[in-house]
Amino acid sequence: MSYHFGRGWAKWTPYLLLLPGLFFYFLIALGPSMATAVYSFTDATGIKGAPVHWVGFDNYREFLFMGRASVDNLDALKRTLIFCFIVTFVQFGLGLFVALIVNQNLKGTNVFRTIYFMPVILGVVIQGLMWSLFLYPLGGPVAKLLSLFGVRSEFLGGQPAEAFAWVTFIQIWANMGITMMIFIAGLQTIPSELYEAARIDGANSWQIFRNITWPLLTPSVNTNLLLNVIGSLQAWQLFYVLVGYRNGTQVLGYLIFATGFGQTSGSVTTSFRQGYAAAASIILFLLVLVIGMTTQYILQRREARILE
Amino acid sequence: MSKKMFSLMSLIVVFATLLAACGSPATPTEGSSQPAPAGEQPAQQVTLRVLVHQNPPMVAFMEEFNKKFQEKHPNITIDMSVVNANDLSTVSQTRLSANDIDVLDIFGFSNAAQPYMKQVDPPNWQQLIEAGLLMDLTGQDFLKYYDASALTDAGSYNGKVYAVNLGRVSYSGVYYNKNLFNQYNLKVPTTWSELVTACETFKAANIPCMTAGGKDGWPIFVGAYGLLGSIYPDQAALVEGLWTGTIKWNDEKSLEMWRKMQVYARDMMEEGASGIAGDAAPGRFASGAVAMFPGGTWYAPAIEAANPDFEWGYIPFPGSDNPEDNKYLFGKYDQGWAIAANTPNKEAALLYLSEFSDPANYQAFVDAVGFIPTQPTAKLNTQIGAEVAPYLENFRVGYEQYWVAPKGAGQFANPWASYFKPFGTYDDPVELANKVQEDLQAGLDAVK
Repeated sequence: MSYHFGRGWAKWTPYLLLLPGLFFYFLIALGPSMATAVYSFTDATGIKGAPVHWVGFDNYREFLFMGRASVDNLDALKRTLIFCFIVTFVQFGLGLFVALIVNQNLKGTNVFRTIYFMPVILGVVIQGLMWSLFLYPLGGPVAKLLSLFGVRSEFLGGQPAEAFAWVTFIQIWANMGITMMIFIAGLQTIPSELYEAARIDGANSWQIFRNITWPLLTPSVNTNLLLNVIGSLQAWQLFYVLVGYRNGTQVLGYLIFATGFGQTSGSVTTSFRQGYAAAASIILFLLVLVIGMTTQYILQRREARILE
Repeated sequence: MSKKMFSLMSLIVVFATLLAACGSPATPTEGSSQPAPAGEQPAQQVTLRVLVHQNPPMVAFMEEFNKKFQEKHPNITIDMSVVNANDLSTVSQTRLSANDIDVLDIFGFSNAAQPYMKQVDPPNWQQLIEAGLLMDLTGQDFLKYYDASALTDAGSYNGKVYAVNLGRVSYSGVYYNKNLFNQYNLKVPTTWSELVTACETFKAANIPCMTAGGKDGWPIFVGAYGLLGSIYPDQAALVEGLWTGTIKWNDEKSLEMWRKMQVYARDMMEEGASGIAGDAAPGRFASGAVAMFPGGTWYAPAIEAANPDFEWGYIPFPGSDNPEDNKYLFGKYDQGWAIAANTPNKEAALLYLSEFSDPANYQAFVDAVGFIPTQPTAKLNTQIGAEVAPYLENFRVGYEQYWVAPKGAGQFANPWASYFKPFGTYDDPVELANKVQEDLQAGLDAVK
């Protein structure tokens, strides 16, 4: 069906109405992204007025192949993928499980939905502050609890693997509410008649979930998986707030921020290297693109199979 | 409404939106039209945007100073922002680039590229100067109050002054709790062995030996810089030696340092120190619960504020068994002032620095923050001043103010005690020393 807005120049109105949106999309999203791609081939510092030189693939070469630093960069890349894998699947599973529970017609489900969703609205700084206090090693609540079993830990400031695990857990806690809400929205679109018919036919709970809920939740599953994959690949803010720039905990997003903005330790001076950081950003972008597109391709094929 | 009319109105709205978005932002009008004579009060109402880093006694002093400044100059309003020290360079760069700052706090110029360093980028202060973002202060009248050496070493580039440094600090010393030392009949340690004995005594009495604000990361390893200093007192030469290969992080001399650093991290530092915020550490020490606190002289006002009756002392970290090796205090040039080159409020900014530099105001500043003054007429009135006075002739700029890592060096190419358990993953000094040297060598080889 086509809609005619008028004749003559008036037929162009819908396109012109799109202009402000397109303008801001170019200004805020596409423009900076393209500029980042160009910057990645320069030695730009990000300082207004500083000279910028074309350096070809030097930044990429340095990031991927130069000395031990490139091995550390690849370790950060690996860590990012591990973080993405754990966050995506645990957050997905937990979000679905909680959504199924709070979607039942029981007393108090609204209260629980609010409680589970609450971390989402807190913001990264508040989330970080809260967990820093929970995990305070000198008599914080978790330290006290562990001390009952004779266990001591430095938590976020101790072993890098442990700090990384805590940040992963907090990332899931902070964002599980969104996953849950998307699933609840999906669950509420499933007609109740289907469940009634299945029960009359004698289907048990697992059969109902497997043959009705799961296939009809496909759009929510796809949305959640894509959001989780892309969100976790780009995540770095909680690492910044909770752990800081520490060996063995950096993910690619944080590495880019620290490099681009001359992240320092105390008063130690470093250089601003936004050209180099832009190259790292493009590598992260390619990673997100490949994983995101692959995920989408798999999900679309699955959806098509279910709808057949 | 006809379709044509609706289309026309829609188009007007669209173009109005585009024009509004393309229009230049409102320019600050305050004080930007006619500059007043240098150092004099501007004729118009001016808002002076000032940026400082988080250091509670310094921020408290600045708030008081700003209040008095505004009373004296009612047509100048101070809008002061405070950022974490780790974020100062980032915020300075973005606000300078956006022309959104007039006066900024800048650490003493350091980490400059040396002739023996290859393929290193210029430090951020040099990048800012070369981009024309910092004002040339050469010839300003208030510079006469400051040490010529401080102006040259910590705020000049290519013969021009771009920053006024406000004081030196030491970070290689240790605060000690006098009451606890007296109570356990312990002598204030002047050697490494005495320090180890003192810590063992405290630990046996269930008293943590040392604390630090480990949540900020750097306080854990900075606390052990005295160990580095007792082994390598000439830290500029150490940096050159590391770059040229005459010193290695896994040679016999360095191994002694790593072994001691492990004792520091594992046995001396209290469990849980990694969770203590940098701002909270002086309070924990002043509570009397801990015997020692390795840290910078800038913590002294916070200790006094937390518990004015608390009795403490400050000594160089005794990293060697030869007391002669422990006579040095290592440190840096700390906070300084610079002015944005493109400030529309040049006169107000110069007036602000001029007032601040007035010897009476400056004396109040060093009294408040505990800096070792860079104005020769200022006195060390504070307790921390008295504590460091005997060591001032042996004051030296520390390693991390000289060090620039070669590109391609690994992330462990630093002499940091925090690599050891429980803060890091290592518990074998030899293994760590090899790893640190390997990470450094990878960078040196990459830039050959």
